[in-house]
Order: sequence, then structure tokens, then C-alpha cells
Amino acid sequence: MAAPMKSMGSSFNATSFQKKTRSKLISIPGTRPSVQNGQLIVSTGVTSLDYLIGGGLAVGTVLLIEEDRYNSYSQMVLKYFMAEGVLCGHELFLASAQDHPDDILTELPAPILDDIASGPHASQDAMKIAWRYQNLPKVQTALASSSRFGHYYDVSKKMEPEIRQAANCHAFYLPEHSTESPLLESYSALLRSIQEVIRKGGFDGAAPPAKSRNVLRIGLPSLGSPLWGDDLCCRDNPAHGHALTTFLYGLRAVLRSSLSVAVLTIPSHLIQNRAVMGNITRLCDNAIALESFKGSDRETNPLYKDYHGLLHVRQVPRLNCLLTELPDHKDLAFKLKRKQFTIERLHLPPDLSETVSRVSRGELAGAAATGTSCGSSGNKHLDF
Amino acid sequence: MLLELIQGTEGGGLIIIQDSIHYSGRTLLMSFIKAALKRDEVVHLLAFELHEEELKHELGHSCLQRLKFHNAFHDPLGWNENPPFTVHQFITSELDSLLTSNQHSKPVTLVIDSFSFILRHLSPSAVCKTLQQLKKGGAVKTTLGLLHSDMHHRNMVGSICHLATSVLTVAPGHQCHEAVAKTIRRAKSGKISQAVERFSISDDMTVKVQSKPVPVGSGQGEAGDAEVDPTANLTFNLRLSDQERQAKEKLALPFVFSKEKKSALLRPVPGSGRILYEPDANDDYDQEDPDDDLDI
Repeated sequence: MAAPMKSMGSSFNATSFQKKTRSKLISIPGTRPSVQNGQLIVSTGVTSLDYLIGGGLAVGTVLLIEEDRYNSYSQMVLKYFMAEGVLCGHELFLASAQDHPDDILTELPAPILDDIASGPHASQDAMKIAWRYQNLPKVQTALASSSRFGHYYDVSKKMEPEIRQAANCHAFYLPEHSTESPLLESYSALLRSIQEVIRKGGFDGAAPPAKSRNVLRIGLPSLGSPLWGDDLCCRDNPAHGHALTTFLYGLRAVLRSSLSVAVLTIPSHLIQNRAVMGNITRLCDNAIALESFKGSDRETNPLYKDYHGLLHVRQVPRLNCLLTELPDHKDLAFKLKRKQFTIERLHLPPDLSETVSRVSRGELAGAAATGTSCGSSGNKHLDF
Repeated sequence: MLLELIQGTEGGGLIIIQDSIHYSGRTLLMSFIKAALKRDEVVHLLAFELHEEELKHELGHSCLQRLKFHNAFHDPLGWNENPPFTVHQFITSELDSLLTSNQHSKPVTLVIDSFSFILRHLSPSAVCKTLQQLKKGGAVKTTLGLLHSDMHHRNMVGSICHLATSVLTVAPGHQCHEAVAKTIRRAKSGKISQAVERFSISDDMTVKVQSKPVPVGSGQGEAGDAEVDPTANLTFNLRLSDQERQAKEKLALPFVFSKEKKSALLRPVPGSGRILYEPDANDDYDQEDPDDDLDI
């Protein structure tokens, strides 16, 4: 049986097959069903990150971002997430203990509304011998799937206030909510506030069906820092070690029964207790860690000069299925360009000279030289 | 970058000087105070670890008169009656009443000697909250403090420095009168800049920065060393002269098509995978989808 063929758009695809689906799912702008497990997914705002966590962030789940040392790139990813919510027309909820949420919202990146060029096709010089391969695109090191889901943003410009005010945003600023309350109160106040917003906005399905459904995006920057009243980052054996984990458990329960997504960032480089960090990772569905090269001695390593940091995928959830599709390349590096936050595979350059590559392979400390090296610290010259 | 911080051209914020037992950062702190006084700013000093006499000896009497000195050395925990300043007064409400006692419109600098003392007696989250409110509120332009990094757990130091706008780590230098300062500054846009400089402090508390900064990654110097040129030192010639290169390019390769045929073959084909199906007479090609009857 030959399926009737529909032509694809302008993108270069290997196949022109299109699945004919009858969608029985509710259609909310900015979401689509996942091709892997049929869950409703939203874009995180960063297309490479969408590819890594299985096409997008499933509605009802939590994404944990472990912050880099100076909290610059994790804040950027959170801003991308919020900007994507503004563009898709979702509602936003932002809770912060450090900066006021309105200040964070003024710094969202501006969207690039016209399509970006899909790669420098014209600038390839003519090949003399392999000319049949001239027009084929180069091997992609950037991770992307064939269909685009999500928008691109220009980091150097701020989002226009008109676009931003079109979105409904709820803010929770901790100094306004508590004065002399003990520790557990700040997290439970936050959870209660989230529940209140979900109930009022009708995200939990209690609203009449006449009103169109929408998704609530929750952003929680720097959770677990001392400004929330938690000494998790300051001590090895914190006095209230369960406060944050109880909050995360409650948050996930609230999210599973409503149409909302949460992204939270935790300064994990300050948490020394591996058990607590493991618990926190388990309680969130998706978990990634950003490690920036700024301020460390890796900044001058010539292998890392194109990138701003490394990205580790710690956990990917199994939602209604037995196995998930993990990215097959574990060494990932990210780069914040003006128009894109790209996540690429980190690959070693070819081994041109004996001394140069051996020295730098040893300094990678096993981070990128997993499958290919055969004993890094060894003698340099093998004489036959 | 160190001199810019001392001159106060950066716009304030929270500056933390991290020192250790090998090199005390107190003289650097004094030079910051002196520079601020020279700029005619209002300087409040909360001295937990320094006696007034010692301060007079270091700074000089005239400076001490212009400084708003809060004696927290005598009775920091309030054991006797009427303590001049206790450590428990380090909360926003008390500090605000202290700092707004002057009606001047000059920028206020709050100097704390040291944070380590406060952290021993108050919980870190309370200290962080106070510092954050000092940073956000308009009362104080710059908050400056000393932190002894070897007195606390590494994470405690990290959590306090996480809030800071600039962190200066001082360490002894190679020569006896010099010291090395590593500065990390976080600009409002989120950009991080860092520098490592050698400096020395003269007797009148002015800081002189040596012109040649210490390179950040001095161990990486050997990696960029001469890349071995593989075409050198061989018994045969691997290089091409210009004439030889031109002759090589002119050579016509076998199995090469003419230009028109090449471009005809290279013209982009719309969609490389097309299924062209012509139903046969025997085929039962029904346009309907058999799954339409399913009712799931």
C-alpha cells in the first residue's frame, strides 16, 4: 500500500513520507504531541536542548538545570524558556528570591521573527574530484531534528515591552511574602502560591470546557540558595535537609495533575552532599548540568576554545514507556552565540602531531576521551 | 582591575576580599577605606576584629576622625549592658537606622571587618538575606568586607561569594613585599571578567600594581609551543614551488565531465526520495484509509 505523498516544505529532507494522523489530542498553541511517546510537549526555547531531552519538555514535568559557577548560562536558558512562553501565548509564573521577577522579565531576549538561513550553501568552493557531493550539506555537529519546533532569539536585544505584556505573568518575590518566617515556610508559601495560580487559571482541568486550554510555564531560578532560607549550600549536614526535597515532591505532584511545565535552577556547585543532590535529581524528571569554562583553567585549553562550557545530561524521564531515547553522544559542549544557543558534540581534532595531542588528551581528564583513547598517560615515542 | 575597584569607578555593589593565613587582607582593606575617604564619601566601619587604637595606628588620626567608626570589638555579643554594637545588630532594620542617621547626599560605603566573625554567630541564610538587601536597597552604594576563607567550609565561602559583585582573592607573592590579587568581577549584564595582578602597598596605604600581570594559566605555555612541521628535515622534497603548483592545477583529470554536464547533474532535484506509483489494472487502490472505521 503506497501512502499518498505530501510534499514537504523548503527544508532538505531525506524522505518525503508524512504520517497521516487523526489528532484526538487537545491542540494548544505552542505544543505538539511527541513522536516518541505521544506526550504533549512544549519547546524549551533552545532547539538543541529540545533535541537532547527527546523533542521537548513534556507537559507536567520538571526540568532541573544545575547552575554553572557564575550563574550566567543557566539564567540565559531560563530566560529562553520564559521568552518561548511569551511567544507561544502561554502563561508564566516566575518566583525568585534574589532579583525581582519583573526585572528578570525585562531582560528576555528578542525573538528573531524571520527564518534564519539554513546554512552557507553558496560559499562552498567547487570541488574538483568529488564534485557530485558539492551541493550536499556538511555534516551537522549541531544537534537538531528535521522539523523545527520553537523559535530563535537574539541575545543582544531585549524583547519589546508590547510583546511581553501580551503574556500574562504571575510573580512571586520572596522578600515580599515573608518577614520573619522559619525555613520551611518559604517553600510551602511558594507551593501554595503555585497551587493557587493553577486553580484560578483553570490549568488543572476544573475550568469549563468553553474556555480554551493553555499551558502554565513555571520558572524558579536559584532554588536552594541561602536566600530562600535554606542552608543546603552552606553546610555538609544541613539542619533542614528535607525542606527542598519535600517541596520538589509536592511540586511534581501538582504539575502532574495540571497543564504546566517547570524549569528550576539549583546552584549545585555549592552543594557538597552527594546524597542530597542525588535525591534532588531523582525528584525532577529531566536534569542537565552546565559547566562553564570561565574562571577555570580549562579556559585556556586549546580544545575548548570554540565553546563556552560543557553540558551533561544527568537524567531523562521514562514517561509511559519502558525506555527513553538517550542522546548517543555523551560529550556535549555548548556555545552561546548571539542568535542561538547551540549544543554540539565535542570531538577531538585529528591526531596530527605526536607531542601536541598526547599532552592535551591527558589534560582532558577523561572527559572527552572516553571511547577513543587507549591509555593517555604513557610514553610518548614508540620506537620500532 | 584592582585599581579600578579601589577608585570606585565600577559602581559599587558587594566587594569581598578573601584572605588566608598566609597573607592578611586587612592592609588592602585599609587602602580601600583611605581611597574612599579621599573621594569624600561617607564611610561606616563595623570593626569586629580590630581595636580602635590599632586602627588609629594604621590609618592615622585624621582619617579616623572622618570615618564613622562603630566599635564592635569590645562587646560583640552583648554580655555587658549597653554594648556599643553587637553582632546581632547586623540585620537590615538596624543597619538602616544606623546608616540613615546622616542626611548627607554623598554615597555611603559600608566596610565590615570581618564577615567571618558575623558568620560564626549568625546563620548564613540570614547574613545572605541582609547582604542582598544591602545590595538592592539604595542606602549603601558599596559594601566591602573581609572574609577569611580558611576559617569556613568551602561552601559557606562559595555561597557568600555567589552574591558578590566582585571577589578579590589575595595571596602572598614571590617577592616579600608583593602580593598577588585575583579579581573576579560580575558586571550587570552578566559578563564575568577576571584578572590576576601583582601589587604592593606602601606605607601611606596606596596600592601600586606592577605592570606585568601574572598569566592566568601559566602551565599551558608549553602546549602552544612550536608545532612540528612534518615537511622539514626529510631526505625527499614534499613541498611544491609555484610553477609546480600551477602545472598541477592545469592537469586534466581522467573521468572528468565538461562544465555543462556537471552543472546539469548538480541541479537540485526536488526531494531526493519520491515514490512514483502508477496503479496497475490489477491493483485495488482505494483512496480511503481503512483505519477510519476504528473508534478508539
